[in-house]
Amino acid sequence: MPVPARPRQRRSAQKTGSTPVVFPAVLVVTAAGAGAAVGLAPEGARPWVAGTAIAAWGCIAAVVAFTSARLRKAHRQTVSRTGELEMTKNNWSQHGAETDQLVNVTLPAVAEQLKNGVGADKVLAGLPTPSDPYLRRMLHVFTTEVAQSVRRTTDAQSDLDMMRRELALGTQELERLTNDTLPAAVSLLREGSSADTVLAKLDWPSNPLLRSPAESFIRELAYSERRSAAAQAASAKALSRVQAKTVGMLADLRDMQDRHGGEIFGDLLRLDHSTSQLGLMTDRLALLMGGRSSRVWNKPIVMESILRGSVGRIAAYRRVRLHNSSKASIAGFAAEGVMHLLAELMDNAANFSPPIDEVHVYVEERSAGLVITIEDSGLKMSDASMRRAEESVSGQVTDLASLQGTRLGLSVVGRLAAKHGISVNYRPSSRGGTGVVVLLPPQLVAQQREPVGPERPRPGADLPTAPPAAAPVAPPAPAPVPAAEESFPVRTPQATAPVDEAPPVDIPRRRGAATPGGLPVRAPGRTMAEAERGRTKNAPEPSRAEPDANAPARDAGSRFGAFHRGRHAAGTTDASPAAPGEDTGPGTGPEAAG
Amino acid sequence: MSRKPVDIGDPDRLYTVTGGRSEADDAFDLVTLIVSECEPAAGMQSEHVRILELCRHPTALVEVSAELKLPITVVRILLGDLHAMGKVSARHPRAADSVAALPETALLQEVLHGLRNL
Repeated sequence: MPVPARPRQRRSAQKTGSTPVVFPAVLVVTAAGAGAAVGLAPEGARPWVAGTAIAAWGCIAAVVAFTSARLRKAHRQTVSRTGELEMTKNNWSQHGAETDQLVNVTLPAVAEQLKNGVGADKVLAGLPTPSDPYLRRMLHVFTTEVAQSVRRTTDAQSDLDMMRRELALGTQELERLTNDTLPAAVSLLREGSSADTVLAKLDWPSNPLLRSPAESFIRELAYSERRSAAAQAASAKALSRVQAKTVGMLADLRDMQDRHGGEIFGDLLRLDHSTSQLGLMTDRLALLMGGRSSRVWNKPIVMESILRGSVGRIAAYRRVRLHNSSKASIAGFAAEGVMHLLAELMDNAANFSPPIDEVHVYVEERSAGLVITIEDSGLKMSDASMRRAEESVSGQVTDLASLQGTRLGLSVVGRLAAKHGISVNYRPSSRGGTGVVVLLPPQLVAQQREPVGPERPRPGADLPTAPPAAAPVAPPAPAPVPAAEESFPVRTPQATAPVDEAPPVDIPRRRGAATPGGLPVRAPGRTMAEAERGRTKNAPEPSRAEPDANAPARDAGSRFGAFHRGRHAAGTTDASPAAPGEDTGPGTGPEAAG
Repeated sequence: MSRKPVDIGDPDRLYTVTGGRSEADDAFDLVTLIVSECEPAAGMQSEHVRILELCRHPTALVEVSAELKLPITVVRILLGDLHAMGKVSARHPRAADSVAALPETALLQEVLHGLRNL
């Protein structure tokens, strides 16, 4: 019996639409069948059959009722599920659209707005709120995060800009410090300003990172400048004392040389030479230390004395041969400098040539000035050392830092040359060694006045033909360079002028060197002692002027005076032989004249 | 010893004048008369020139020394050079004759006295 029920159930499950009709039909059919069976059954069996049929139909009816109820329930469920599915589908598609909208439109718009600086709250308020809470939350989170990022980016950007500005400012300050401030500060310090003055005067960078190193640099530099200046000043001061002592010793030695003869005289000369060398060394150091020369001449010095004064200061003065025919004088203010310069060059030449070779010094007068050539026959200088020597004597580098060891002489030459405008040039010498050409510009050569008439009475009176005869001979036979003759005739008047007691320049000044009352008058630039001497010179003047024709230039009185002075200076040992000489000396004067 | 003003005098030292020599020969006595034999030539040492000019008339060595303001020894050396070159000649004073011809000291003193009284 359950077998027929199964296909129904299965059918009803498959075809829900036909079941409500099928079940009553089945009940009717089965009821009819049961009625029929009851009717057909024999009488005795009829109650049994009827009971069985009723029971069977009841069972079938129950089964049908249960099944139909289950079917109805299943159908209801199906319907509701389908409705749910539809709703879910709707929901899903709506959700998809919202997500799509959010991703493609809303989020970029939010990002854009936030980037433009609109506040996160405002942006959220102006947006359609998504229905989905997750999306809503996501949008909220996204918006706040992006807003935060944007804020952070803006902050970082402004920081970066500030940094850039500061860096640019720093670079600019550093550049100004390097290019303008520090050089200016260094030159101010070199001029002797103190560190505080320099720090106050100049515009220093405000950046402490730049300012403090610059400040400490300036202080350190000022300290070392001050130290070197103090050292220089102390040396110059000490050297000036040595210089004064040396000059005093030289004067004393000269005094002693006048008073002593014989062996002592030789010793005095040696001492004199040593002292002169000492003077050169001291002067050299003093000039390097910014001091002054030990002596200042207030009168023009003739070239011969200049050369001798220079050569006397070097050790090997005997090896130096002077070839000088110039009568020019060097102006007093430059004389010491020129002597020192020449002494250094001669010393150099003598030191760098074999001890048996001579050093030759030639003087020529040119229109460009006086040319002095110092030639040695030592080793040829190499190109490099020649260049170095040229550089030293150029006087362009006057920093003490450029000094090399003990070779100070040439840098002193450089300073002196630069000071007086002297040009010093090295060249290979035709004698095999090195030659130095020194050009003294005309402004260093003292103005030579024409010697006045009465100063040369004797050559004119006694031997009128002598000076003209001497003039053509005047260019010296061993003239080093023939070109010297070009300028020589210009100087001929001076060349043939008698070299009297003093260079011609001094003569006009000595004339009026006394007041009518007989007191000496000191001309500006002269010492009193010289004025005194000038006054005594005036005494024989009248006698010199009037007996022009028959008398010698100096009369007996002046000669006696000279004799007496000479005797006095010579000491007392020769007093007795001098006594008869007093008579013979003046006695021969008129005899020779007449 | 008194200090002189530094810039009086000449820069040349005596050993440069004598060329480093300090010994003079004894040919010249203080009163030897020197006479130049020729004119100074150009290129000569200035002291030589001055001696030659000074000694156009016979001049005693001591006078030369005083005129040149040079020590006797230096003048002797210079004269020695000139003498060796034959540019000067030296005359020794005739001491014997002159001493005999001299007036007596007393007479000279009287003359001096008379002169002072003038």
